[in-house]
Amino acid sequence: MTPRPEAVRRFSFLRARVLEALIRYGFMVLFALVLFAIILLIAGKDPIQSYRDILTSTLGSTYGLSEVLVAMTPMLLTALAVALPSRLVLINVGVEGQLYMGACLATWGALTFSGLPGWILLPGMILLGMIGGSLWAFIPGLLRALGLVNETITTLLLNSVAPMIVSFFVFGFWHSPMDTNKTPNFVPAARLPTLFGTRIDVSLLLALALLLIFWLLMRYTRWGLEIRAIGGNPQAALRNGIPVRGYVISVMCVGGAIAGLAGMAQVSGFYGVLLANFSRGTGYMGFLISWLAGGDPLGIVLTSFVVAVITTGGNLLQLTRDLPYAVINILLAFTLFVVLARPSLRRSRRSA
Amino acid sequence: MKSRPVFHWLALLAAATLLVAGCAQAAAPSAEPTSPPAPQPTAAPPEEPTAEPEAEGPCLIIGALHGGPITDAGYNQAMHEGVMAIKANIPCVEIIEAENVPEEAGATSTMENMIQQGATLIIATAFNHQYPALELSQKYPEVTFEHAGGWEMGANFANFFGEPPDTWYMMGVAAGLMTESDQLGFVAAFPLGWTLTFINAFELGAQSVNPDAQTVVTYTFSWGDAAKEADATNSLINQGADVITMHVDSPATVISTAESRGVYSIGFQSLAAQQFAPEYWVSGIGYTLGDTLTWLSSTVMDGTWEPIFLRCGIADGCMAMAPFGPKVPQEIQDQVGQSRAAIEAGEIVVFSGPVVDQEGTVRVAEGEVLTADVMGSVDWFVEGVIGSPK
Amino acid sequence: MTLLSILGVLSSAVFSGTSLLYTTLGEIIDQRSGTVNLGLEGVLLVSASAGFALTSITGQPYLGLLVAMLAGGLMNLVMGYLTVTRRANQLASGLALMFFGFGLSAWIGRPYVGAKINGLPRIALPGISNLPVLYASLFRFDLLIYLAVPAAVLVWWLLFRTRWGLGLRAVGESADIAFASGRNPRRIRYQALFVGGLLAGLGAAHLSIAYAMNWTEYMTAGRGFIAVALVIFSKWHPLRAIGGALLFSGAVAFQLLLQSSGFQISPFLLSTIPYVVTILVLVLWGGTRSHSAPASLGRVYQGSE
Repeated sequence: MTPRPEAVRRFSFLRARVLEALIRYGFMVLFALVLFAIILLIAGKDPIQSYRDILTSTLGSTYGLSEVLVAMTPMLLTALAVALPSRLVLINVGVEGQLYMGACLATWGALTFSGLPGWILLPGMILLGMIGGSLWAFIPGLLRALGLVNETITTLLLNSVAPMIVSFFVFGFWHSPMDTNKTPNFVPAARLPTLFGTRIDVSLLLALALLLIFWLLMRYTRWGLEIRAIGGNPQAALRNGIPVRGYVISVMCVGGAIAGLAGMAQVSGFYGVLLANFSRGTGYMGFLISWLAGGDPLGIVLTSFVVAVITTGGNLLQLTRDLPYAVINILLAFTLFVVLARPSLRRSRRSA
Repeated sequence: MKSRPVFHWLALLAAATLLVAGCAQAAAPSAEPTSPPAPQPTAAPPEEPTAEPEAEGPCLIIGALHGGPITDAGYNQAMHEGVMAIKANIPCVEIIEAENVPEEAGATSTMENMIQQGATLIIATAFNHQYPALELSQKYPEVTFEHAGGWEMGANFANFFGEPPDTWYMMGVAAGLMTESDQLGFVAAFPLGWTLTFINAFELGAQSVNPDAQTVVTYTFSWGDAAKEADATNSLINQGADVITMHVDSPATVISTAESRGVYSIGFQSLAAQQFAPEYWVSGIGYTLGDTLTWLSSTVMDGTWEPIFLRCGIADGCMAMAPFGPKVPQEIQDQVGQSRAAIEAGEIVVFSGPVVDQEGTVRVAEGEVLTADVMGSVDWFVEGVIGSPK
Repeated sequence: MTLLSILGVLSSAVFSGTSLLYTTLGEIIDQRSGTVNLGLEGVLLVSASAGFALTSITGQPYLGLLVAMLAGGLMNLVMGYLTVTRRANQLASGLALMFFGFGLSAWIGRPYVGAKINGLPRIALPGISNLPVLYASLFRFDLLIYLAVPAAVLVWWLLFRTRWGLGLRAVGESADIAFASGRNPRRIRYQALFVGGLLAGLGAAHLSIAYAMNWTEYMTAGRGFIAVALVIFSKWHPLRAIGGALLFSGAVAFQLLLQSSGFQISPFLLSTIPYVVTILVLVLWGGTRSHSAPASLGRVYQGSE
């Protein structure tokens, strides 16, 4: 029998992978749904109706679907911000803080240069957002590269510092007496344009583009190859002349830049204003998604979608089932637990 | 040509998604009420509850959202009780309520969901709900939006609120008379224009009966952070304040903390606060907007709704004063009652000139009066207040 | 700045630092055995809401305390199941636990928002009552506050003077070597997590039952992460945690004092100081394989059974 051509081999490998991923994800989500249904029953709510509510409010209408995509966008970016450093076995838990700093610097741009037209201001704000996040990741990156402190700890600590710096500005220089915990609203030129009259803004396209670029870079460029080499065996990579330290710092900075972009998108696209403490765990959610998806772009998109459906569906549950919105976190957590508890089904994960 | 199996799977997946979406769409209409709210003609005057004839569905669907929990014995509870009063007065009304709506993010989607469930009157009670509601009002011109405490107006967007400054003045009178250390403590959430106005009114009231009275202000920078509120209260007491009051969402923590230290407290937002201070309660103010909201709802129903900047005070029943606590002597109660009568009669106008700020600048000249629209953007404290207005 | 206000800062630091100290002690035990629990925030919330709910139902604050402890222990056991038995990544498991805590605590606590409870009774030491009321009320502490420092000493003794503690620290340094010398790393990590959870539950209980006497969603406001930072700051040593907790919470109280004295330092910048100092401490005294961090912290034990 003639050996199958390369394209066909690749394709059936792809098919098998996609199939495997779908079945695996499907079963896990199903299991989590059953667990949550038990909770709902205990609370005296009808699980079938509740799930129907979640589905109708998310997949049942174009509005619902658009809301899911809106929720998905920051997750895609923050997950990517974790995925890239993870290829170097760097643990970037600091996405939350980088998000805030990106939002902070972008806000400075929006408030200071509010007279500029949108086509100058917005790219400027994007740049500022990326710089902000990048700076925040630079410090842990540098400390790690110099062998001083583990980046896990530094990014975690800086996570707590960033929101306070944002609050300092929000309640200080950027405060207006009419408002409580936010800056003045951004001028229309400083807002990311939305698509089709929904709340989806162009950052979704940016996110998907970046994920695609990431995938291409990792597979097909020398840069990606060197990163994978360092991730596999840093000593050997060093001996082969790959500048490991430089990569550590630059990769952390790029990751931070992407997280900063997510922050900028949040304040410019979604909110239109900088709120103190605007992110309740978005960065951490990105970390979880990236980890669950194994740092794989397709997995990130799928996982973000599922998470976004759950969190968006929770909005309607509050109104129709009289459950506090926060309870939807239980369903989210069950999904996460179920996936976490099956490491044997995954390809080998580097532990810790 | 052999068709690749992967296409089969993809097609199956696509079909499954469409099926789910289709079923969901089919199910969606059943989640909404069947009959649209029909305008009912009413001839009754606004204060009386209107008796509605039987209709197939609710005569009006109202969506109400709160920034915090409706059992907080504070602002959210007061607003919730106001909304519930609508239903008590107009039984055919259906109310969809959402609590703990995070100020910006969830507000838009919550209101959208309510509108999709048929709500034609949205009552947004949290301060920061204003702009999301304003945006939605432009998107849904057939839905009426009422916001509590804001200032924006639109064709289908208006706001309503009580008139706290007058009542704060009265509380200041009570505090000024009860204090022995001449130090009053105020726990505030944010340096918001209205908060500053309340503090100023409080201090002016205290000064009117006790010229040495001072008010010390501390900020928690959160509408509802119990630990910070406890910290702030303790700090004020340690500075010598012996009467504590507040402008945060829920007075519960501040009052319990003051009570545990044996210090007087004055409540705000909801009359339910008194239960937290059985001994050292002085008095308190609460919002009682039930009748106002009922009137607004009835105008929406009969089509006579117009955007008004609605403010009403204690004389109109929108605000109420709590009963005095057991330690307040009768003559102080009488004096507070007198000042209340004087305000209602118009003899005392709280912010009538001359009013001097902390640095000595005259903010309201002799013969002038501070008007309501300016009160929301005040950024100064009157003389006698210790703390930063920024 | 009067004597009263200075004593007030101290009193505030003690009051709000107590819950932080218990939580930190629990996390020290966990981390000494090699587990990083980022889900501490969720654990605290569930314990706080459960304890508050039970106190509200029964009117018995001490009962609520016990329930809060138990809740904390159980939450940490979930963490144990994920990281020890299923060998999942610790950071991810912790964060998932945090989200779980957000939801579960909101659900448990929902009917009890705004409820009024009898907080833990406050007892004055003999002699304090002779002081004027304002001073006396500063130093009327509840049971948990009196037991806080003894608890830290107890944890120190457990970790450094018992066989159990020795085994625990051995697992934290190297689980494989500990296994080779006859210990059961899995069981030890489970035990550490449970005890740590009990302590964290105690910390949460103090917040909702004794200090704020209230329950609202997300009321712990980041204390879980503050505790993780404090563990690092005190270099994984229970006795240093006492000072650290006082410092971290004293800063808050001090800032309030400054605010009402007219000094214009931003409370936000002031609150960042503990974290910045922690990073500096790590940089100056080593943060990766220092003499302080348990070497196998964060590593999932693969095991050979």
